[in-house]
Amino acid sequence: MRRAVGPLLAVTVAMVLADSAVVTLALPDILQNLDASVGEVAWVLIAYNLVLGLSAVPAAAGLTRGQPRVVTAAGIALFAGSSAWCALADSIEVLIVARCLQAIGGALALVGSLELLVEERGERRGLGVWVTAGVVGTAAGPVAGGLLTQAISWQAIFVVQVPFAALAVPAALAVRAAPLRDPDRHRPAVRANLTLALLSAALTAALFLVVLLLVEGWGRSPATAALTVSVVAAAALVAGPLAHLLRPPPQVEIAAGCFLVAGGLAGLALLPSSDLAWTIAPQALVGLGLGLTVDRLTSQAMQMRLPRARHAGWTIGARHLGVVAGLAILTPVFTADLQDAQAPAEEAITALVLDAPLPPQDKIAVAKALGAALAGERGQVPDLSRAFATLDLDADRRPAAARLERDLDAQLERAATRAFRDSFLIGAALALLALLTLVPVRRRRTT
Amino acid sequence: MTGPARLLALPLVAIVLVAGVIGVQLAHGGGTYEPLRPADACVERTVTSQVDGIEGLTERLVLLGVSDAACALGVSREALTLELAQSGDRTSAEIDALRDGLRSAVGRMKADGTLPRASALTDEALDSADLNGLLERVIRAVPDSVIDKALSTDDVLLRAIDDLDLRDLLANLDDQGDLEQQVEAAVTGAVKDALEARVRGLM
Repeated sequence: MRRAVGPLLAVTVAMVLADSAVVTLALPDILQNLDASVGEVAWVLIAYNLVLGLSAVPAAAGLTRGQPRVVTAAGIALFAGSSAWCALADSIEVLIVARCLQAIGGALALVGSLELLVEERGERRGLGVWVTAGVVGTAAGPVAGGLLTQAISWQAIFVVQVPFAALAVPAALAVRAAPLRDPDRHRPAVRANLTLALLSAALTAALFLVVLLLVEGWGRSPATAALTVSVVAAAALVAGPLAHLLRPPPQVEIAAGCFLVAGGLAGLALLPSSDLAWTIAPQALVGLGLGLTVDRLTSQAMQMRLPRARHAGWTIGARHLGVVAGLAILTPVFTADLQDAQAPAEEAITALVLDAPLPPQDKIAVAKALGAALAGERGQVPDLSRAFATLDLDADRRPAAARLERDLDAQLERAATRAFRDSFLIGAALALLALLTLVPVRRRRTT
Repeated sequence: MTGPARLLALPLVAIVLVAGVIGVQLAHGGGTYEPLRPADACVERTVTSQVDGIEGLTERLVLLGVSDAACALGVSREALTLELAQSGDRTSAEIDALRDGLRSAVGRMKADGTLPRASALTDEALDSADLNGLLERVIRAVPDSVIDKALSTDDVLLRAIDDLDLRDLLANLDDQGDLEQQVEAAVTGAVKDALEARVRGLM
């Protein structure tokens, strides 16, 4: 059991942080399955990040009032139980409440796991494992969620977490950690946490919006989207060796990371087509930036600061409130842009139908089927294949109709890509703002 | 690695990577990947149809007419088409623009020689018309040259466009049967009027 303690706690940390973005690819399924609106379903994401962000510091305070292993085990058990409840939720309201409880359990599990890992592995290695597990979880969350949704269902995302968390409960109890007695010796690292919050807001664009663009805008499957966004996680792993090779000072490493995230997001705003290959390089830049910044900033905000759990709480709070701020800024922008994209997309579709090499009666049939398809969508990018499937065309007209369908899909992809542009650019601006927080401020000397 | 190298290496790598990625994307049209912009409705366009006869003629007339109406109304052809496809009352400006557009479409097709002779449309018109069998046989026996002398396509079309109740027609776009009935009544009336005018002219 003792050998499994470290890996199980690391997996718990990764799961809690992965949960921040794990449901992104499952949102369309949840929306349909629980008959929710787009606004309601966004709260499945927002509620978790908001509660996790707000409860991290109080959770750290709670850790000092009891036995760390007991508090941690209780947090993990709450996380496991509420994950199971999420899977069983039969309404959007129940799912959101369960997600709030999951976040409270997650906050206790995160700060508690840090103390237990340090107890198990020592200060340096324990903190290293905790930070790395967090980065891996953050980057891999959307990928895992997408694959599980495609292979099984959105409920599977929550079900698979239960056994790992259940196993981590006895693992936490097995660690003999003394009650925490560290007084509040150090102030929170404001600058590092502010940079972390701004960067997390920027990364929201990469981690949430890219999957929405791929699945909702370009009509790719969740599994394809999951594999595509796995570039971020893979590139984040390359960041460590690159930093080791070039050995930059920490502030330079973080600055370069912020610049790479900004550059990657600008690249996502300037995609030349809806070919998945074009998203790879910008995402790799974001992943590289993520790998260079998040663990370095987290370490900076926590290293040599006591009590450790309290400062871990500040970094978790900064990260997840940054995510909420990112969602709060970007969601209205891209939903309004999607709305604005509707008119040009409809006009482009009309132009193609009017000029299509089809007899007038077939054009009228296509127009009627498209009208019905567009009316059936609730503010989402329509799936035109269903409209074309209902058409009864002569065999010799089918190639022209198929060509028209491809052209119309291309127009929708163009409109969706254009609709996400501003949000990616705002994400890039947030990353540049994070970069600005690194500029040293000289204090005026008073004589 | 020396101090300055440690300071500059990673930022330089980051700048090169970002500039490379964005440069390649811009070179391949990044930033201009947007939906097709509707063409200016006032710019003359070539209109073709995949079918011949009355259906093809109607399609070309409507496409040219809607473009011309959109130009007059200061909107794109696509925006006007979408507007007309919606249910609801039409403004007088829309109706007038559409009628003028259809009339000028007839003029344009006549000018560029794409308007078929009346005799080319007679057989098809008779197939769909509900006429007495004897009368139908008599008309079919009339030589094309006589038909073309008696009826000019542009005259018939202009009369039909003037006779059409466009407001009522646009209100019933979903009802294919009603639409055909209205157009047929207008065309039949126009043919009758044109023949009467021709006879009056001969007298």
